[in-house]
Amino acid sequence: MDHAVTDQKAVQTSWTGRVEFLHIAPRSFLPMRSMPCIELVAGAGITGDRYSTASGFYSDRPEEGRQVTLFEAETLEALARDHQIQLGPEDHRRNITTRGVPLNHLVGRCFRIGQVLLEATRLSTPCRHIEQITGKEIFTPLLHRSGLHARILTGGEVCVGDVVRPE
Amino acid sequence: MTKSIHRVTVEIRQIERLSDRVRMLELADMDDWELPPFTAGAHLNVHLPSGLVRSYSLCNDPAERKFYRIAVLREDEGRGGSRQVHELRQGERLLLSLPRNHLPLAPEGRVVMVAGGIGMTPFLSMVPVLERQGRPYELHLCARDSRADAFSALLAPMIRSGKLVRHYSGTGARLDIQALIAGIGTEDHVYLCGPERMISEAQSLGAGLGERLHMERFGPAGVGAEKAYVVKLARSGGNIPVTTGQTMLDALRAAGVDIPASCEAGVCLDCRTRFLEGSPDHRDIAMPVADRTSHLTPCVSGCLGDSITLDL
Repeated sequence: MDHAVTDQKAVQTSWTGRVEFLHIAPRSFLPMRSMPCIELVAGAGITGDRYSTASGFYSDRPEEGRQVTLFEAETLEALARDHQIQLGPEDHRRNITTRGVPLNHLVGRCFRIGQVLLEATRLSTPCRHIEQITGKEIFTPLLHRSGLHARILTGGEVCVGDVVRPE
Repeated sequence: MTKSIHRVTVEIRQIERLSDRVRMLELADMDDWELPPFTAGAHLNVHLPSGLVRSYSLCNDPAERKFYRIAVLREDEGRGGSRQVHELRQGERLLLSLPRNHLPLAPEGRVVMVAGGIGMTPFLSMVPVLERQGRPYELHLCARDSRADAFSALLAPMIRSGKLVRHYSGTGARLDIQALIAGIGTEDHVYLCGPERMISEAQSLGAGLGERLHMERFGPAGVGAEKAYVVKLARSGGNIPVTTGQTMLDALRAAGVDIPASCEAGVCLDCRTRFLEGSPDHRDIAMPVADRTSHLTPCVSGCLGDSITLDL
């Protein structure tokens, strides 16, 4: 048995997480609406979301690797615990709120949500736009944990409760 | 040119004529999505098709999540914004800023509101909140006569309950602000929205109320420089003369300095700029006192000395 291979596999499969919330909005600034399920379209984006129709705040800076965005529920809890900032899953303006998924470690890797296959392209960065909308000073507390951008390789439906796992 | 993705986009769903000169516009998302929330007393900036930007108070219940209402008085001798609003048609699209609130409702205490004409608008968003909270309040509506009173019809239940008191100056029933302030209780809050003359009078008579006196003017303050001065740009190194009658914003624009600005009336704070040296003459009506030692609003504010240095 090659121990290196075994160890690597153990690391690769050391986590599974779940989808806790799903949110979309059809245009910039509009409140995010909680959805039970959303449809991811390969190479495009989320049906009904602003970034699939070039209607998002950053759509004038298009990025092929930003077809869907993810955020950790654990970060919301850390903001409340360490900074007394109450931020809900509808406030961070990313589409998929996960639990138990090490989003920052996935950059450059592929992972699945149910049957949907995503490729993590880069970390999301905090932005003043969210501060403007929420009226909360969250730019600095969100540094290094502002979520993940991903490209949709295989589309399909994603629902709350779906399992997230490494590919 | 403002991009639509950098503003809230709405369409005009309904236009209602409240009087000869006042129209109420109902603005909603094209897909009937919820709009960004607001609180009682908030206003927003409307980007008119000509490029003009004007601030208007929101005058519907903040609990209504799917539309905004604004009421606009046509001022034929004004700067042009209200005439353009009166030319807008149902179905047209408009770009808006996010709602902001420089006239927030105090969390407790009796509330006495005084509206001069179109100054009624912010109180239309406060009344439903006060009703829900079960708080005591009264609203004084000042107008020249019943023809100039665009709002009584909307407020009929309040007239019946005695919470709305109308003061028509044309019939000799002008509001006695001195008597009104003399009758204010120690926990009461007074809100005024109206023309400059009304606000100035209340400001001097009600100075003793301190932070329990809340005011919102409409119309631009006197904005041009009373005497010439120089704006120095610390980072880019230029010296820009501001001539008598000119605003700092106009002088900066003439010199090719691009400053974001919206209301140009000292309300929206879009043009808020850091200064490093000199004494500003703050004439905005919105910036927190704590910010005035470091920032100014070049759209309306001036300089008390010969020069002022901006962090630009």
